[in-house]
Amino acid sequence: MAQGKFCNREKVDTLEQLQALLNDKGGGQYYKEMQDLDVDTDLLWATLQKTLKEKSRIKAWLEICAHCGMCSDSCFLYLANNKDPEQVPSYKIQSTLGQLYKRKGKVDNAFMQMCMDTAWSKCTCCNRCGMYCPFGIDMGIMFSYLRGLCFQQGFVPWEMKIGSGMHRVFRAQMDVTTEDWVETCEWMAEEYEEDWPGLKIPIEKVGADIMYTVNAREPKHYPEDLAEAAILFHLAGEDWTVPEEGWEETSLAMFAGDWEACKMQVQSVYDAMERLKPKRMVVTECGHAYRATVIEGPYWCGLKTGQPPVESLHYVEWVAEVLRNGKLKIDPAKKIKEPVTLQDSCNYIRNAGLAEYTREIMSYIAEDFREMSPNKDHNFCCGGGGGFNGIGRYRKQRNAGLKVKRDQILQTGAKLVIAPCHNCWDAIRDLEEVFEVGIRWSFLKPLLVEMVEVPEHLKPQEEEV
Amino acid sequence: MFKKILFATTATPACDNAAHVAFDLAKKYQAELILLHVFGTPSRGFSTTVTDAKSGEESHVDSDYVEWVEEEMKTYYAKQLADCTTAKVETLAGVPHTEILRMARKQDVDLILMGAHSRQEEPGATRYRSIVGSTMQKVSKGARCPVLIVSRPCTTCLWYFSNIIFGTDFSKASDSAFLFAYKLCKEIGSKLYLFHALDLSSVQSGTVLEQSEVEDRIAEAKKKLEAKYISKMEDFDNYEVEVWEGIPYVEVLKYSREKNGDLIVMAHHTREVDPEKAMLGSTVEQVVLRASCPVASVNRPHKVSES
Repeated sequence: MAQGKFCNREKVDTLEQLQALLNDKGGGQYYKEMQDLDVDTDLLWATLQKTLKEKSRIKAWLEICAHCGMCSDSCFLYLANNKDPEQVPSYKIQSTLGQLYKRKGKVDNAFMQMCMDTAWSKCTCCNRCGMYCPFGIDMGIMFSYLRGLCFQQGFVPWEMKIGSGMHRVFRAQMDVTTEDWVETCEWMAEEYEEDWPGLKIPIEKVGADIMYTVNAREPKHYPEDLAEAAILFHLAGEDWTVPEEGWEETSLAMFAGDWEACKMQVQSVYDAMERLKPKRMVVTECGHAYRATVIEGPYWCGLKTGQPPVESLHYVEWVAEVLRNGKLKIDPAKKIKEPVTLQDSCNYIRNAGLAEYTREIMSYIAEDFREMSPNKDHNFCCGGGGGFNGIGRYRKQRNAGLKVKRDQILQTGAKLVIAPCHNCWDAIRDLEEVFEVGIRWSFLKPLLVEMVEVPEHLKPQEEEV
Repeated sequence: MFKKILFATTATPACDNAAHVAFDLAKKYQAELILLHVFGTPSRGFSTTVTDAKSGEESHVDSDYVEWVEEEMKTYYAKQLADCTTAKVETLAGVPHTEILRMARKQDVDLILMGAHSRQEEPGATRYRSIVGSTMQKVSKGARCPVLIVSRPCTTCLWYFSNIIFGTDFSKASDSAFLFAYKLCKEIGSKLYLFHALDLSSVQSGTVLEQSEVEDRIAEAKKKLEAKYISKMEDFDNYEVEVWEGIPYVEVLKYSREKNGDLIVMAHHTREVDPEKAMLGSTVEQVVLRASCPVASVNRPHKVSES
């Protein structure tokens, strides 16, 4: 069999395809079919040639790697797996992408499966190794590219194919329709307006100061996150809105290597920017969403400036700003007293340089802030980035990788970890489940809602008692 | 009074007592009954799996699984469903309180009915641990309609409720609870007991009151009961008024016991949503845990005010 019913080179563009794929429990049939999936070697080589041109950076990177091994200790998966030589970043990329190029795309099914397993279970695209390579070779970037090649050939983990299909069908990582989204915004405004008089979630307002975008998990399963964001905008007196369409910032398409869907998704956000003409855009506490829409997205969409259509902030930038300018004030009595540490999300710390913003926030809200070591740009991946958290096939490898983060957290002595990123939040929750070390974890929003001073006129009216 | 009822259930023995009341109520009022089981909790980050509510194990949500859970529910309630033509079964994955509230809002239901079990499925676990299921807590806080919590066998049926206890702290939310209790009494001809407990718990006051002060305050509360509620009851005269002093939940329970209360109606409006912090602080939670009869939590006027 050349192409399977589920495992094939087709893209998932319809709801029916998506449903059928989901119904293949855990990808049972999908992975069986993968055993017989043929490799379109011509397509593979043609694609490689398009990217690895003379003077291209990936070609140069592959060629100048001196196999010095300086990148070894930078990789949390290398450290977590007993310094297994096969986990050295340069080895991982040379033995996959390097070989694909050397063999001019003439590889077989087994090789492609090995590439897939390496690209999704031995690298989270955290890009830490790139900081330690004396030549500045960024293996994370190359792994993202390798994922794209694998996706094109149909060698992609089942969950990733579903994820990219979701973006294609719903322009969101989950099945949240425009109606569901609007409904959830209205519901949250209704449910919380008693406690927060005047609270609104303005939808599709043109010309607001801030357009707020989210992660589809929030409207789908955790709508209180949306309510908390609304409460904080409300208390800060911001003029804000959410778009009716183009509200989803995340991109499982990016994790999947589905370049076409990456563009589709991010274009929907940029369209919302053009439509609503906000002064700025703020995205929720999600790491890869920011990377996809603010850092990578402009290139996917061919924007010459390399910037999104309007100035775009991560949530931590907005929080630091309003705490700095006093639009939100922390009640000194409610500051976090216990030792607390902070998870740096690779996607907006190392890959976008926002480390000082989160430190500034900690200086306002915590009395005993403890840095992990290493930290900031040098921090380790939570252990669940790049889609690692959600792929059943690699659960064991994911759990093994969590050790590094566990030890980093334990060393701080803090029992509370602030994780302003959905995937980090999950990985830290999971590491508690796996190792039971007795820690708690939180996004910023729920903590801030508890800590901010509420101006007199925004308090609920006193009841007669 | 009830056209649409949402019964949130795990389809396990922990919800049997609640199920009994749910089906009875639907039959009596010819109400549409929605049985909702939220069977799996999803993650915050990307994942296609959910944690199954019963087994605690990870599972994939696909149509087969949903169908299977639905079949299981239909089997569990086969007898009741055969008797009740207005009932339908819904199952989905999500965070229980979120999906219950979402469904209640979407379907515009008049009453949510649930057990007070926690995630620990063994019956009695909640009482033993003194923790009310956080789902129940969040649902009663967020719901716009009355929430009826049934945690123990309800020997009478709702339309036979003869003694309804309305406990008030005179809050705005209590006004809605009063309207619900009052309308229910009028409709089914039961006696209404209006009750207030003067809070003497040391946490609350920090000082010891003189007996005369206590008596003054009791008299004052009685006046308030008169002004706030009794004056609104027109010619309805099947009621009693009482004010006691002590720790509110203890007094409500003692009073209910003395009057053979078979339904307690209160407002559950604590602003504390963290169940870990609210669990011992809230009067309603303690009442739910310890009462031998169902407890209705009513906080908002939407489904109880005069239409």
